[in-house]
Amino acid sequence: MNAFTPPQANHEMLVLGDHDDRMRQDFAKSLKQFTQNNLLPGLTPVFEGRVARKFEKENGRPPADRHDIRKGMVKDIYFQTYASTNRIAQELLWESVMDPLERDIDAINAKAKKLSDASTATLETTPDFKVPRYVSAFDIHCMPGGYSTSMSDDDVGVGALYDRGVYIYSMGQMGPDNDDMGRSACNYVRRNLADFKPTAILDMGCTIGHSTLPYKELFPDGEVTGIDVGGPCIRYAHARAAAKGLDVNFLQRNAEHTGFEDESFDLIVSHILLHETSGKAMPQIFKECHRLLKPGGYMVHADLPPFLKIGPFMQFILDNETYYNNEPFWGAMRELDQEQLAQDAGFAKEDVFFDTAPMAALEMMAEPQEEAEEKEFVAGEYAPGGGWEVFVARKAV
Amino acid sequence: MDHTAEPKLKRHAKGKRPSFYEVDGLDEAMSMIMVLASELSIMRDRLDTVETIAANKGIILADEIDGFEPEQENVAKRDDRRQALFERLYYVTLKKAQEEAGKETEQSYLDVLEQVAKP
Repeated sequence: MNAFTPPQANHEMLVLGDHDDRMRQDFAKSLKQFTQNNLLPGLTPVFEGRVARKFEKENGRPPADRHDIRKGMVKDIYFQTYASTNRIAQELLWESVMDPLERDIDAINAKAKKLSDASTATLETTPDFKVPRYVSAFDIHCMPGGYSTSMSDDDVGVGALYDRGVYIYSMGQMGPDNDDMGRSACNYVRRNLADFKPTAILDMGCTIGHSTLPYKELFPDGEVTGIDVGGPCIRYAHARAAAKGLDVNFLQRNAEHTGFEDESFDLIVSHILLHETSGKAMPQIFKECHRLLKPGGYMVHADLPPFLKIGPFMQFILDNETYYNNEPFWGAMRELDQEQLAQDAGFAKEDVFFDTAPMAALEMMAEPQEEAEEKEFVAGEYAPGGGWEVFVARKAV
Repeated sequence: MDHTAEPKLKRHAKGKRPSFYEVDGLDEAMSMIMVLASELSIMRDRLDTVETIAANKGIILADEIDGFEPEQENVAKRDDRRQALFERLYYVTLKKAQEEAGKETEQSYLDVLEQVAKP
């Protein structure tokens, strides 16, 4: 993996800070890269050697699944330093954005309001909105304030924090607009769902609209709406879209019960939403998608692969997010039978499938598509095998 | 920074921070070390910025710095500064040696507390 990171595309709302703030951000990013490229590979020999041997000696059998692997690894000093460094990088990352954000928060909120006031697209937030517990219990990704902490009715703070922070988190691999998941899923729809021209598009759990905006760019005649439970994220998303000259509606709504009329949309998408919901919410979201879709419409959910598709050691690596990055549903979600859940929600068995959407960012770097699709999951790569897992279901005509 | 003002943003993430090491305090020490490493890295980046800005104005600082022959005065000053750095870096170790020499122990400390408290 190349250590070079293309700079994040600047826009009026982006918080970068001064020279030293930006270098602190770069440091956090470089530390993440180092951890992933240089420390993470060492976990394999450490596990296969001393950790597996010790486990077998103590338990009279080799480690069988990711829980066994975890039990052995957490006691090993190499893993401890790997996991501790990863966590510290994550904390420094948010700190490095919070410093300039806190200095300028009043001006940033005022700028967002000005941009939103001048936009014709809908902005809707609700002061006493009930944020579901799976979002409010922890600050997901260890981002201080989480998605929903709002200090005032105009506050966009955590939205601004997320915009810059996620770019550092993804080490630029989501492209200069942090929109690779949306762009890749959108390309997938255009290429693979023949003659499907969506006119009403809903992006669920859109946070600040990173992945929402490509749909407006690639389906300019369609009406695009993003919903999220985080008020500051929705306000920031609306202002950011306005800054980029795109008319996209942003509403503070819960994907489980959106409040839209039946058959309001012909394409419903989500990007890394499902693993941040819950065992109760996820089936309900599929049901809500089925209710909201027009006959013949599609839902496309882009997330990371279910555990069934990867070996126990890789499962263990991914599951570290559950324990160390405030991702309570990350592991459990990957064990669910999503095909069955979709059928329970009303989709026909033959209309439900998993597929891979090649990463738009990789394609732009001219990597042949077939090569990207055939690559196997390698620890440390941002998207497994160079593509995003998409879960697709079509509502019967 | 004004620490008396009401915070405008939350600074700490909700959710118990896991312990990675079994030795108490090592998690804190590791994060402090990484913060120090970050500040060192930022200073080097800033110097790089200074060199680049100077170069754009025709002064090749990097070359001048690399070709710089320190005067005796510089050498002595730097030697002293390095020794002072090591003293700061090893202050706990040095203090421990001094305690051994002065026969200072936990017990001798507690003895003083008791003596001082006596009416």
